Amino acid sequence: MGYYRKIFIANRGEIACRAIRPARELGIPVVVGYSDCDALSLHVKLADEAVRLGPSPASMSYLDIDAVLRAAKDSGCDAIFPGYGFLAENPDFADAVEREGLVFIGPSARVMRILGDKIAARKALAASGVPVTPAIEDVEDADQVIKFGDRVGWPLLVKASAGGGGKGMQKLASPYEAEEGLAAARSVAEKAFGTGTVFVEKYIEGGRHIEFQFLADRYGNVIHLGERECSIQRRHQKLVEEAPSSLLTPEVRAKMGAVVVKAMKDIGYETAGTLEFLVDKSGKFYALEVNTRIQVEHTVTEMITGFDIIRKMYKIAAGDRLSLRQQDVLLRGHAIQCRINAEDPKNGFAPSFGRITFLRQISGPFIRTESGIYQGWEVPSFYDSLLAKICSVGKDRGTAIQRMRRALREYDIWGVRTTIPLLRRIMDQADFVAGKIHTGFIDENIAGLTEYEEVEEEIYKVARFVAEVSGLGRNVHSG
Amino acid sequence: MPGALKKKGYRKVLKTLRDGKAIWLTNTGPRDTGQSDFKNRFTLHDLSRLMPVYDASGYFSIEVHGGARLHQNLMNNMIHPFEEARLFSARMPNVLTQTLIRSTNVWGYRMYPRNIVRLAVESFLPAIDVWRCFDFLNYVPNMAPVAEEVLRGGKIFSPAISFTEAPECSDAYYLRVLKEIVSLCGGTRDIILCVKDMAGVGSPARIRRLIDAFLQKYPGLVIQYHRHSTDGLVIPAITEAAAAGAKLFDVTDDAFSRFYGHPPVRPLVRYLRELGYDVRLDMKRADEASDAIRGFIRSYGRFESQFKGFSSDVTVHRMPGGAFPSSFEQAEKGGFLDLMPHILKGMSYGNRIIKYFDVTPGSQITWTTWAGILQRTHKEAGEHGIRRLFSVLDRFFESGERLEALSQADENLLLRLYEGATDDLKNLLLGKYGPLPFGWPKEWVYRSVFGEEGAAKAKAERVESSPLSRLPDEDLEKSRAAMEAELGRPPTQEEFVLYLMHPKAAVDFLKFRQRFGDITVLPTAVWFHGLRKPGDQVTITIGSKPHELRLVSIGEGVGGVKHVVLSVDNIMHVFPVELPEAAAARKAVRKASPGKKGEIGATVTGTVWRIGTKDRVLKEGDRLRRGEEVMNIEVMKTENAVKSPLAGVIRELCVKVNDRVEEGQLLASIDPGGD
Repeated sequence: MGYYRKIFIANRGEIACRAIRPARELGIPVVVGYSDCDALSLHVKLADEAVRLGPSPASMSYLDIDAVLRAAKDSGCDAIFPGYGFLAENPDFADAVEREGLVFIGPSARVMRILGDKIAARKALAASGVPVTPAIEDVEDADQVIKFGDRVGWPLLVKASAGGGGKGMQKLASPYEAEEGLAAARSVAEKAFGTGTVFVEKYIEGGRHIEFQFLADRYGNVIHLGERECSIQRRHQKLVEEAPSSLLTPEVRAKMGAVVVKAMKDIGYETAGTLEFLVDKSGKFYALEVNTRIQVEHTVTEMITGFDIIRKMYKIAAGDRLSLRQQDVLLRGHAIQCRINAEDPKNGFAPSFGRITFLRQISGPFIRTESGIYQGWEVPSFYDSLLAKICSVGKDRGTAIQRMRRALREYDIWGVRTTIPLLRRIMDQADFVAGKIHTGFIDENIAGLTEYEEVEEEIYKVARFVAEVSGLGRNVHSG
Repeated sequence: MPGALKKKGYRKVLKTLRDGKAIWLTNTGPRDTGQSDFKNRFTLHDLSRLMPVYDASGYFSIEVHGGARLHQNLMNNMIHPFEEARLFSARMPNVLTQTLIRSTNVWGYRMYPRNIVRLAVESFLPAIDVWRCFDFLNYVPNMAPVAEEVLRGGKIFSPAISFTEAPECSDAYYLRVLKEIVSLCGGTRDIILCVKDMAGVGSPARIRRLIDAFLQKYPGLVIQYHRHSTDGLVIPAITEAAAAGAKLFDVTDDAFSRFYGHPPVRPLVRYLRELGYDVRLDMKRADEASDAIRGFIRSYGRFESQFKGFSSDVTVHRMPGGAFPSSFEQAEKGGFLDLMPHILKGMSYGNRIIKYFDVTPGSQITWTTWAGILQRTHKEAGEHGIRRLFSVLDRFFESGERLEALSQADENLLLRLYEGATDDLKNLLLGKYGPLPFGWPKEWVYRSVFGEEGAAKAKAERVESSPLSRLPDEDLEKSRAAMEAELGRPPTQEEFVLYLMHPKAAVDFLKFRQRFGDITVLPTAVWFHGLRKPGDQVTITIGSKPHELRLVSIGEGVGGVKHVVLSVDNIMHVFPVELPEAAAARKAVRKASPGKKGEIGATVTGTVWRIGTKDRVLKEGDRLRRGEEVMNIEVMKTENAVKSPLAGVIRELCVKVNDRVEEGQLLASIDPGGD
């Protein structure tokens, strides 16, 4: 007897392809949904069955709860895996899934509601002993903010209580900015999330982004799988992730891990999740938020622990007991992941859409690729720009960097601009190699990191000439 | 030249030539013969097949570089001149590589100051062993910067005396030039003296007498006789030169030989050997080279001269071999090919009126001047007008060049002869290239060239001293910045040298490279014609790796674009190809309306190489005097000033430096006012 009759994957792109694989390993048939522009996309090709969700805009397809539920039910699925983004952290969706009698492969709506509200989450985490940033949660006026800033030190950060992805965040550099900044953040929050509730916390400068991956079953067993370092990011979008972090000693890891495990036990969390921290220059941890879903960068943890996290999520949601104990989790070596986005780093990371005219995927020792693309496929303009992820692993960070450089050199995508040349520069950048990284790394080094030339392979230049002279029937250059 | 000897250094090489009795040969196939008979269009793909054969054949040197090839490589062959020179040098370790350099004109068409001459020579020194240097005025001080750089660099300097047959070209004259050369080079030990018979006009007896006179005066001198085949007497002339003691001759492969380049090597060697000379050449290799050439020479048929056959009249019109096919080509493209016999005849008068040697840049001045005169005459008065012009010139010379002997009408005709003279001709008469070898032309020539008012001023301005001493060094950093702006990136040193020679051609070439890569990997047929039908394929090697291009389909031209599908290493790619008509329409030019005051149109079709003057760069908003030079257009290597017809302020400059402009194209508009 299998875990499920059929799993419906309510996502697209690389994560949908990724999620199909462990299901297939477990002998579970997979159905995917697709929007019109994704009809020929890779996840549709890889799945056993595919159901049209609706037109291309996400709100009419991947975000349309009714459409997704209907597709899952009509195709005979008894479980839904949401991936990341879209409906993954929407408790209403989780509720609806359960109401229809299907299994939602993720945390309960109750937990999502607590952790999805920044103020509620802070309170819950703090109650379990997780360090959080000094903050005022019920902001009334600017005077209150100024007093707080003077006490904990400037700058401060205003955040929308219901926010995410950096939206509605406002940095207050000094007391003079308090009044206006607060009003601006409230206005954005109102528009974006329907509620103007904001809170103000101390801004952690030059910090590092470190997050703990954990797994929990419904029987109260919680373990952590160590941390990931995600400081290489731009506008809160991560580009390079690693595990483990070179910042953590085994003692600190064990201590912070225990804090995370306790908090999740207290909250009653089930399935995989991530607790994100900012670590300031002095090494102090401050919890940022809990991601109640699989994360893009889960691969690096898998590479050094040997566990397939999504496969574990499938089993846990089916009622399996977590067979692992904390002492079974051994971190071996070092893994790095690079995100290949269809963006032009030279042009302010503007999205780049179009047909992939050429694609050379990579492989080789200790390299893993998670991709949702193929040659000839057209990158649609409706969704996020992540095309693929590549992951390298080595006995130490240096080896993993060497392998990543090799992989990036081989990887080649034509037709759209990508972050590949930028990632190559990052892997060569001295501070990165030395591990001297922080969340401002990309912004600080952007000039040097984008100082690459996109070199077209010589054969294609010559081919362009041969095409011209063949098409015109004569050489217009030779006189 | 055995590699072992080459390794011992240039003095040892020259000593071997001087002390020995052997005759050595220079093969000019890749450059001079390629230029004279095939417009310098040989591809590197074909030439590279000859390199190992040449290397093993026992030639003294192979002329691989210089003359117009550098320009042609940038303009039409899309070959990087430095890469080509290095390839020849690396693949032919057992023969010397040779160039031809035009004294201060280097490989371009203007006078360069010393710092540019030095830079250009220095950059090519590593790849080039023998440096043949000539000056079209036989003005030896113009050779000095090249001589200094080559001798200091430890390469072989080969000063050339420009030769022709004319009453004033006596042994005494050539001995005077030779004396200056020997003095410039500190004796005869370190040089190969070249007698440069670039038109192929020397009678066998004349050549024997001249070389004999040289060797009487300088017994240790190593002499090379460079002679084009044009008049048909090349083999007897070389034989006489050998009898007089010349040791080196220019030849080419039989399969390359035509009419305006150099003589076929195998008959010459057989004949010289029959006469008892020890000629250094491996005949088997010469056979091999000609066999290889036969395999590819048909690709270049359309670049051969429009007129074929030996041409005894070269002895009077003196057009050099290297200018033959390009002149005929220009005549054909300009639609005046039928005027060619008249133009050649006109040139034979011209070289009696203004005396210099017809070789670059002199040959271009002669050609442009007389092509202009004959076209104008034909336009104004047809065949009859041309007959009349020649008859007036005949009477003028019969009278001992006395204007008084002519009727007033004929005198007026003669005084109009040089109307609309190019700036290059004016500069020549102003002494800007150096003093003319046989004195300045007569008073009436200045009146004809500069007008009645300008003649006296021109003569007063005319300078006798060395033009080099008056030419200040160029600001290289400024030129480099200008190049960077045009290219959109900083140039390498070698790219910069190319730019100094040919600014527009160099930038266009580098942009071509950026877009189309290094096309020298392509077989010649694909370079000229592409892949013809679906399924045709070509295998090419880039670096060390093989690649395959296969034509899949050629689309219909829709909207000015054809879509060409190629399989590139087994992967299909669609290449949009813009049709030339569509590209031309896109770049449609604005014409100056003749009725509109203040609209300045291009006087000729050519390339704008300067806006303003040397001393005043013009920009929009600048004030102009009436008659002030606004721009200068280069056409067929000559300068043409465009002057403002009125005083005023520049409202708009419609072109940039290095833009190609068509006759009548709007260059600038002027708001009239002031003066």
